[in-house]
Amino acid sequence: MPPIRLWTIEDFAIDPSRPLYEQFVEQIRAMIARGELEPGTRLPSVRETAASLRVNPTTVMKTYQELERLELIVTFRGQGTFVTQSETAIRSSRRQMAREAVNRLEETARSLGLTLEQLWELSREKE
Amino acid sequence: MIKQESMPFGGRADRIAVRCEDVQIAIKKKPILNRVSFDIPVGSLTGLLGPNGAGKSTLMRLLTGLLEPDSGRIDLYGRPAGAERLAELSFLPDRGQLPAHLTAGEWLDLASGLYPDWSRVREAELERELGVHREKRIGALSRGEEARLQLLTCLSREAPLIILDEPFAGVDMISRERIASAVVAEMADGRRTFLIATHDIRELEQLFDRIVLIGDGEILGVHDVEELRTNGRSVESCYREVFS
Repeated sequence: MPPIRLWTIEDFAIDPSRPLYEQFVEQIRAMIARGELEPGTRLPSVRETAASLRVNPTTVMKTYQELERLELIVTFRGQGTFVTQSETAIRSSRRQMAREAVNRLEETARSLGLTLEQLWELSREKE
Repeated sequence: MIKQESMPFGGRADRIAVRCEDVQIAIKKKPILNRVSFDIPVGSLTGLLGPNGAGKSTLMRLLTGLLEPDSGRIDLYGRPAGAERLAELSFLPDRGQLPAHLTAGEWLDLASGLYPDWSRVREAELERELGVHREKRIGALSRGEEARLQLLTCLSREAPLIILDEPFAGVDMISRERIASAVVAEMADGRRTFLIATHDIRELEQLFDRIVLIGDGEILGVHDVEELRTNGRSVESCYREVFS
């Protein structure tokens, strides 16, 4: 059996005024992207995760469903849920996250009347 | 004043565990509940939130059939509430009523004979999860230990509807965490419906999927919690808006 990753609520930074499952998806995605959750790691069941995080099971179910849709986790009937072994899926998720980060930065640049390149240059400029 | 937002499970009548319609009651001529109406979907964990004296305990006693409303209607799973429906619900009252001279184990043995829907398998699992010691005398338990034993009593039954009145009042942090974890694990299969009355929302904020706000005997709002969050609001901010 591959190693199992058990969570506590301290593993997550939760903002109570945003949908919880969105935040769990983002943060688990990041754990997978930086390799902290290794490919093939077994994840605890919905029931175990809900109990250890003390959140509504529906929240965990939605989180797992979304991560499955993103092809970052896979469930094998009777065996459990695992982080994908597919490097292509992980690579594509990291690319997606990189794009999202750049988009956010571009928005910031635009709000300052700059292009991304100009923002970068300006931030590197010596006094 | 009543804000009724869309229901998470589609809101079909057969998916409603509890329905209150225009419920009114006065006790010693003092009006306690005024035209109270709300639904609780099957499989949800609903928080009944409001300050002390809002009418929460009276409302729970009405649901359990210990009191009858002066007017209005209360249905559990589509049929009228009443004392004869007690087998379908498991109620944790706000003050301990366990026999002080028994040990926890003696009480559980007794309770397992009292309730026809008692599961000794669940009892053993919950005893471990909640960290209850059978050999301790009930009179010598701390408030937190007693609350855990009460919850164990509630959850060892197979009743589909669980009603908890202030399960956290005066309970230490570790007991709170164990109680919250046990409640969550219990509802994971979606068959049980929970209604939890509390004026202390911090511990349970992430557990609720629905909240009913009650103040001065009136319903001041019914919200789907994820919908609140989608609109950038937390349970706490919603509570503050209504009650401060």
